[in-house]
Amino acid sequence: MGERVAEIFEPAPGERLAPAAACLDNRPATALVFMGMNAAAPGTCRRRRPRRRLRRSIMPCPGRRKFLRTTTLAGAGLLIAPPLHLPRFAFAQPDTGPLAIAVARWNPAALVSADLAAVAARLTEAAIADLGGMGRFVSKGDVVWVKPNIGWNRRPELAATTNPDVVGTLVRLCFAAGAKTVKVGDNPCHPARQAYSTSGIAAAAEAQGAQIVYLDEKRYREVDLGGERLKSWPVYAEILEADLVINVPIVKHHGLSDLTLALKNYMGVIGGQRGAWHQHLDECLADITAFMRPRLCVLDAVRVLTAHGPQGGNPEDVKLLGAVAAGTDIVGLDALGATLMGRDPAAMSTLKLAAARGLGTLDFRSLPLAERTLS
Amino acid sequence: MIWTRRLVQIAVLALFLVLLAANRPTTGAGPAGPVELFFDLDPLVLAGTWLAARSTADLSLLALVTVLITLVLGRVFCGWFCPLGTLHNAVGSLRRYWRRPTAAREGFRGWQRAKYVAVIALLVMALGGVHWLGVLDPFSLLYRSLALCLVPAADLAVSAAANAVYLGNPQLGAWQLRDLTEPVYRWWQDHVAGTELRVFLGSGVILLVFLGALVLNFARQRFWCRYVCPLGGLLGLIARRPWLRLVSDPAACNHCRACTLSCPAAAQPEQPDRWLATECFGCWNCVAACKQQGLDFRWVPPWRRTSAGTVDLKKRRVLAAIAGGIGAIALMRITPAAHGKTYNPVLIRPPGALPEQDFLRRCVQCGLCMQACPTGGLQPTWHEAGLAGVWTPRLVPAIGFCEYECHACGQVCPTGAIAPVALADKKKIKIGLAVIDTTRCLPYAYGRECIVCEEHCPVPDKAITFELRESRGRDGSVKILKFPRVDPDRCTGCGICETKCPFNDRAAIVVTSAGESRHPANQPLLGAAMFGPPAGDEWP
Repeated sequence: MGERVAEIFEPAPGERLAPAAACLDNRPATALVFMGMNAAAPGTCRRRRPRRRLRRSIMPCPGRRKFLRTTTLAGAGLLIAPPLHLPRFAFAQPDTGPLAIAVARWNPAALVSADLAAVAARLTEAAIADLGGMGRFVSKGDVVWVKPNIGWNRRPELAATTNPDVVGTLVRLCFAAGAKTVKVGDNPCHPARQAYSTSGIAAAAEAQGAQIVYLDEKRYREVDLGGERLKSWPVYAEILEADLVINVPIVKHHGLSDLTLALKNYMGVIGGQRGAWHQHLDECLADITAFMRPRLCVLDAVRVLTAHGPQGGNPEDVKLLGAVAAGTDIVGLDALGATLMGRDPAAMSTLKLAAARGLGTLDFRSLPLAERTLS
Repeated sequence: MIWTRRLVQIAVLALFLVLLAANRPTTGAGPAGPVELFFDLDPLVLAGTWLAARSTADLSLLALVTVLITLVLGRVFCGWFCPLGTLHNAVGSLRRYWRRPTAAREGFRGWQRAKYVAVIALLVMALGGVHWLGVLDPFSLLYRSLALCLVPAADLAVSAAANAVYLGNPQLGAWQLRDLTEPVYRWWQDHVAGTELRVFLGSGVILLVFLGALVLNFARQRFWCRYVCPLGGLLGLIARRPWLRLVSDPAACNHCRACTLSCPAAAQPEQPDRWLATECFGCWNCVAACKQQGLDFRWVPPWRRTSAGTVDLKKRRVLAAIAGGIGAIALMRITPAAHGKTYNPVLIRPPGALPEQDFLRRCVQCGLCMQACPTGGLQPTWHEAGLAGVWTPRLVPAIGFCEYECHACGQVCPTGAIAPVALADKKKIKIGLAVIDTTRCLPYAYGRECIVCEEHCPVPDKAITFELRESRGRDGSVKILKFPRVDPDRCTGCGICETKCPFNDRAAIVVTSAGESRHPANQPLLGAAMFGPPAGDEWP
């Protein structure tokens, strides 16, 4: 098979020189690599090379024969591989493929005097845009469930609940990407109506046209989690029916797991006797995360809670961090969140176990990552 | 005139229901609007509170308007305004399909004096510092029955139906039935009930009393209002010589007794000299029923005696009522709890509740606070507070906790039994103290990790802290566990730890009334007792 494709692509020297050279400058980056293969004919190569910076950055031009062979084989592999593998293949090329994590940070010097609502909105926009835009995750007509942390009846300034402007911005971006319905809801520890309204999330999400859902205790469905610790557990059916669940935790301290991030945020989609999870928290979180198969998580670190979490209540425990990170790799994102909080991700048992289970990459720096500072 | 009256009655009943629905747990700041309006207009609540507590809530002076109206127009309050009376009218109107009314059954009975005896006895009790006004007051009775039984029952019906449609999801092609039911259910949750179904301890007894009062209409028209209602009795005592009186024309009367059969109050309209102003509801039924046009209401100067007989209470009955009241005081006051000998550990009163005896002098058992409580933790007592405290509120943390950012109960209380404290002050009030049952608590008893109580503790710097200790497993392995411990200086007794404890049958951390701010004598810990955080510490 490989042979046959290679034959097709093997150019006769000089044969395709003219057309390739003619359209070279208008080709997109990936095409450029293939064109480069053709353009490597005598004469043109030397003249054109200084302009082709991109090609040089991707592959140092080795011997011509070797170069031809590798690129041809790569192209062949691309063609042979089933379409599902395509994104992963492209993934290996940081410059061209989709990112796994995008972080947007606000210039710390400008943070104190900034309007936090606008900061949160712009950081969220930037992180999502860097990750490839909401269109990467939301298709036209989709039903999206935005799952913030609305666990507590606490004001946003106390950093116990997700920043309402981050949530509102995500809702707006979902609609802009063509979502039919955006629902916002969580299973709070405090009375739902109080928590939704005090946290400011109900108002912010409704202002963008989202549907606020107060979870109904009769509407959990006992589902087969197929986990290692949990075989089955009641999960909120309406969340499972959504086309996309965006997990939007706030970064904060937690009494047992040290920090609560995206993995821990999934405790808001389940019902039942949640308190019992704490007896084997790491395994339970890995089980629910594997079941939920996260596609997009957004970490709100605009304000973070540094102590007395997860509920807080004292403004002195709140720190202004001015960062929002979006990602497709939930463990990598949580590891990044832990790093933002000055923790060593490798020392956090929840993250270690989740990584060992294959839910993501603990070493987030090895992932294709973009970082941007706004002000 | 009859239809005017009916429209007024329906409008007032509707207002009652709107205010009932407005008293939903929303933000914790208490509901917007005068949800306790009807209790402010209730002269029985005013008189009782004033006699018992020697003070009144500000707005309850509105009840003087009711007194004024009654002085001028008689007991029109019962005939035109009282929403419970309207319900009695509605049930009573069904009666004629069941049993033919006869003049003998509709006529005045001496037993109608019972309500005067009742109100005198109740006010004497109030003077002695305990009262049962709320048990018999029509507004308390109606509000309690609706808020604690009928609205939850309706909510159960609505949510069960909506959930059945939602989960079954019947559909016809692309059309789903749930598209129709979901908005209705959402409206119901947003405007009438709440998000969670409310359930109340002992609501069956409350419902039975209410249904009993309604069913008695089949024995006599408006049985409750004629024989039992202490508010009716109080208004009857005020309405002995109203300006508006029924005047009959003896020449026109053909003794057909149509007026008697139509009178819901047994006020003897057919006897020109015996019309009973104290019984008459001013409902205009008799005027409309008289085919001879022999009856009408006229303005009569108040200094003229009523031509009619008044209900003669007789000295001995008044004395019996007073004696009965004093007896009841003795019965309710001579208990160990009333004298600080015992404190019931499960009697956890809402934050801002006055010391027990002052609390009982004011609470009218209406149920407003229990309905306003966002967690549903405020429940009606049955026997926990003794005979005097039946249906007063107590926190049952196994059902719901006292939300840290909420002071709704004090905001809605119509009599100030729960003081309307500001939120910042409320956070400093201790309603009890948590105690850990180390024979059940997971780290202590089973060597397992659990931090649920600490995680939920709402006090900003945590009233539950951890002690890190080694725990040895059966295989000899040692691990470090977090053992929770209660800091009595900071614990407010809100009970969220008990609500959320993984043990649902009997929590491994429970709150008892010990340490409650309102009782200086119920303090087990030196210095931990009084208000707020340790000295010099100010919470935001």
